[in-house]
Amino acid sequence: MTSIVQNQWYVAAYGREIGRELFSRTICGESILFWRTEAGEVTAMSDRCVHRRFPLSQAPSHLDGDTVVCGYHGFTYGADGKCVAVPGQTRVPRTARLKSYPVVEQDTLVWIFIGDADKADATRIPRAPWLDQEGWTTVSGMEPLAARASLLVDNLMDLSHETYLHGGYIGTPEVAETPITTEVDEEAGIVYVSRHMADAECPPFYAKSTGIEGRITRWQDIEFAPPCLYKLHSRVAPVGVLPNEDGTDPHAFHVEVNYAITPETENSTHDFWMVSRDFALDDEAVTDFLRESNRTVVLQDVTALDVLEQVIAGEPDGYQELSINIDTGALAARRIIARLAAEASGAAAEQAAATAR
Amino acid sequence: MTLPPPREVLAGDKVLRINWLPGSDRLRGRCHCGAEAEGEDPIEMWEWLLAHPNHPEGGPDVPPVPDVLPPPPAHRVTDPSIIRSRIPVLV
Repeated sequence: MTSIVQNQWYVAAYGREIGRELFSRTICGESILFWRTEAGEVTAMSDRCVHRRFPLSQAPSHLDGDTVVCGYHGFTYGADGKCVAVPGQTRVPRTARLKSYPVVEQDTLVWIFIGDADKADATRIPRAPWLDQEGWTTVSGMEPLAARASLLVDNLMDLSHETYLHGGYIGTPEVAETPITTEVDEEAGIVYVSRHMADAECPPFYAKSTGIEGRITRWQDIEFAPPCLYKLHSRVAPVGVLPNEDGTDPHAFHVEVNYAITPETENSTHDFWMVSRDFALDDEAVTDFLRESNRTVVLQDVTALDVLEQVIAGEPDGYQELSINIDTGALAARRIIARLAAEASGAAAEQAAATAR
Repeated sequence: MTLPPPREVLAGDKVLRINWLPGSDRLRGRCHCGAEAEGEDPIEMWEWLLAHPNHPEGGPDVPPVPDVLPPPPAHRVTDPSIIRSRIPVLV
């Protein structure tokens, strides 16, 4: 039984990672080849030649115009994954085709649909417009996580861990001390967790990037669209400074901390992280500081979750956990992910039954 | 300084909410149908909310806690490679 939710859009890569070089990444246990056509469109297909399974990302496999040529025997595939040429004969077997994946490039991210391609509705892809918008500057990266995706979901949905795991970077005592409110939109499949700190210590991550000296009003508003895109809307202002009644907020600093949680396998995850800010847009020192600081924070999580994966993988099933108030949001996320998984496996069973008939 | 309660952000027709009541350990759950209840366990609170439209009378269950607790269980490890990797190496 897989823990990976099928029939979902996942972030496969940053757009900048994919060009006219063959690029391979394992997504949800499937080895996938990415490349851009001459017109600039991203295309995705299985990274295994149907002939003898040679990886198409492996040299001397190469692109030739809008086709990819297997480096072993020359099987040649178009951008739709269909084989257009085989060596030594004119007839191309009808079964010579690669699984092709629906792909959408949006907000600087390359999204891929894993599951039944007929169910790929691009309007369901959650948006993060600040990643590609005037008035914002973004730093981003990706760290490999040797842990199941659900551990990263748990981690990000409960930010009280910042106080303990990320002290000296983003954690202060007030994060763990402040109650949260949790909302779940059952139809849209969104979990929203809000933690508003009225009077909090300013952690170095924000003090050094904003220049605020002294205490702050700090809001953390998590908006998670399971299973993949996590958005932390972070608002930082000198203590007591609130948005105007008309919704404008000129005296606060806004940081969008986004993660894309993409399973690589059952027990490993691509941890994409992005930090967008609406201040000091052209200040390279702030850019460098936020990039290094956030990467450090992500690596603190990676270290902890890699250990936790080992613990969980090495213990019997059914170990009893304990959940308290801080876990309200993470529990909601788990429920939605479980529901999505059940819906996808139900759909798969229906399809199998229909095929059998 | 006290901030106003965090705003309700999600605007859908089927939104469930759990507010952690400031200054307490208690949670207050509210269903989109208007049913409300208080409790102290987030798992039980989600169960109560998700029971819509049949929210149990009297609010979420309170997990029973015996007067005398059994001893905590050992953390059992079943994977030999993990056991080995977690034993300090003596030199």
